[in-house]
Amino acid sequence: MTIVGIGLRNAWRNKIRAVLTLIGVAVAVIAFLFLRTILSAWTTGADNAAKDRLATRHKVTFVMSLPLRYVDHIRTIPGVKAASYANWFGAKNPNAEDQFFATIAVDSKTFLDVSDETVVPPDQKEHWLGDRRGAIIGDHLAKQFGWKVGDKVTLEGSIYPGDWEFVIDGIYTAARRSVDRSTFFFHWDYMNESLSAAQKDRVGWVMTRIDDPSHAADIAKRIDDSFADQETQTLTMSERAMNTSFLGMFSAILKAMNYVSIVILVIMGLILGNTIAMGVRERTHEYGVLRAIGFKPKHLVAFILGEAVLIGAIGGLVGVLVAVPFINQGVGRYLEENMSGFFPYFRVAPHDAILAGLLALGLAALVAAIPAYQASKLNTIDALRRVG
Amino acid sequence: MTENGTAIIELKSITKSYFRGSEQLDVLTNLDLSAPEGAFEALMGPSGSGKSTLLNLIAGLDRPTSGQIRVAGSDLVSMGEADRAKWRSNTVGFIFQTYNLMPVLTALENVELPLLLTKLSSAERKEHARVALRVVGLEDRGNHYPRQLSGGQEQRVAIARAIVTDPKIIVADEPTGDLDRKSADEILELLVRLNTEFKKTIFMVTHDPAAAERATIIRRLDKGTLQ
Repeated sequence: MTIVGIGLRNAWRNKIRAVLTLIGVAVAVIAFLFLRTILSAWTTGADNAAKDRLATRHKVTFVMSLPLRYVDHIRTIPGVKAASYANWFGAKNPNAEDQFFATIAVDSKTFLDVSDETVVPPDQKEHWLGDRRGAIIGDHLAKQFGWKVGDKVTLEGSIYPGDWEFVIDGIYTAARRSVDRSTFFFHWDYMNESLSAAQKDRVGWVMTRIDDPSHAADIAKRIDDSFADQETQTLTMSERAMNTSFLGMFSAILKAMNYVSIVILVIMGLILGNTIAMGVRERTHEYGVLRAIGFKPKHLVAFILGEAVLIGAIGGLVGVLVAVPFINQGVGRYLEENMSGFFPYFRVAPHDAILAGLLALGLAALVAAIPAYQASKLNTIDALRRVG
Repeated sequence: MTENGTAIIELKSITKSYFRGSEQLDVLTNLDLSAPEGAFEALMGPSGSGKSTLLNLIAGLDRPTSGQIRVAGSDLVSMGEADRAKWRSNTVGFIFQTYNLMPVLTALENVELPLLLTKLSSAERKEHARVALRVVGLEDRGNHYPRQLSGGQEQRVAIARAIVTDPKIIVADEPTGDLDRKSADEILELLVRLNTEFKKTIFMVTHDPAAAERATIIRRLDKGTLQ
């Protein structure tokens, strides 16, 4: 029997309250981990961006396009190994209009060299390069719509209106977990040749592979400087910065989620604090007895903190043990397969799981500190007079 | 002094006042008391006469407004709170009217509780607790929780807890107040035994004349003054 051990036994004194508190803490931990995983999945593209890749877009906004001739010029800039280009196409599957997926027109001759984390079987790649209407799609998108190699599909254009016919020539997988496995890539030439003269030969952005990531800033400046006196000026940045600027559109949502995760922690603290405060109030008389027989204020603090930390630790552990399989094997898989554009990799990060457990522990100790302090300041005689 | 000639409890010119707003309430007034070592004293008096206040002062739970208190050789007035807590754990055993056992601990663990403040090993603590339970006749109830014991048994466990540190003084606040006559008699018999056989000085507050009769000295307190 130890002083902390007695505190731990006190935790189970009111079993219903203890179990409800544990459930409350566990649910808060699950909700916290779910939100943290959404945030981490959302930013995983930026976090895992290639360091040797730059992206060049219109200086004003990525909605405006660049002349195609810029691509050849960029290829001549020292430090640039390869360059490719793409346009956001923005089409929908007319049979499932509410299901979003990215459609991008890419320069097929260079795309897979620059974007080497997009893995296509060699025979399918070969076939795609020779097929003007060919497309390669991510394995998650293929599964989502039941599309197979050889299928003919028609997409409905929004930015470029009309029905666009394609043939699925390949299904790509990803060498990195940050890659969206539900994108629809097709030949930029196929799109370009169908456009009016005014719209022709314009690219959305240029992706550049460079020879030395440590010179990325210099090379980016060289690219932008070379177009400084042109009518259309450019903005070149690392792929990570580009992904981050794209995420900036969702910054309000991400911030809101961050705040909600903090609110969840506060709620968890209140649940725990209420339980501990009730327990301390009910046991005031006992604390008086303990003080009378010689226990010191620090011993009462140990009783109370021991109890709180136990509840926090068990609640946190249960929450993590439930949340990890629930998210990784259940919700996460569903989201990766059906919303890969937003959540290419939806798994609980180990550091988030550890953080959630530690927060449950730390918050328990924090919220117990006030009742523990109050108990340590109890007047022994007043406490002995207190009933219940 | 009386009996053994040595006073274990000595109170001189004790005044204890409380303040309710600006109003001063004098609970004890200029009180002198001297109790010999090995005595079994009963303190009687009507409600509000200051019995519990006097007991708290003797047990080192409270300090007087003025006066001197010397118990078991220690000057309690000059001691700080932490020193008095340590002094209590070594010198005084407490018996309360409502037993005050911890419900989450077994009888043996309740008795062991004060020994957590000592340097004894776990095995030594358990052995001491068993001996104390044997003294009160409850060795076979060591694994029972308080809810599994009768009122008389709970009070006997509380007495075992009070004596487990081998204190010089036992203070008892209405120790039979919650018990039926038969259980009360058993408890009083046990207190007499602790006094005669184990030489414990006992200071007991009681309303019960039958309980007071077991004491060797009976004092009466009325309106803060010993009669």
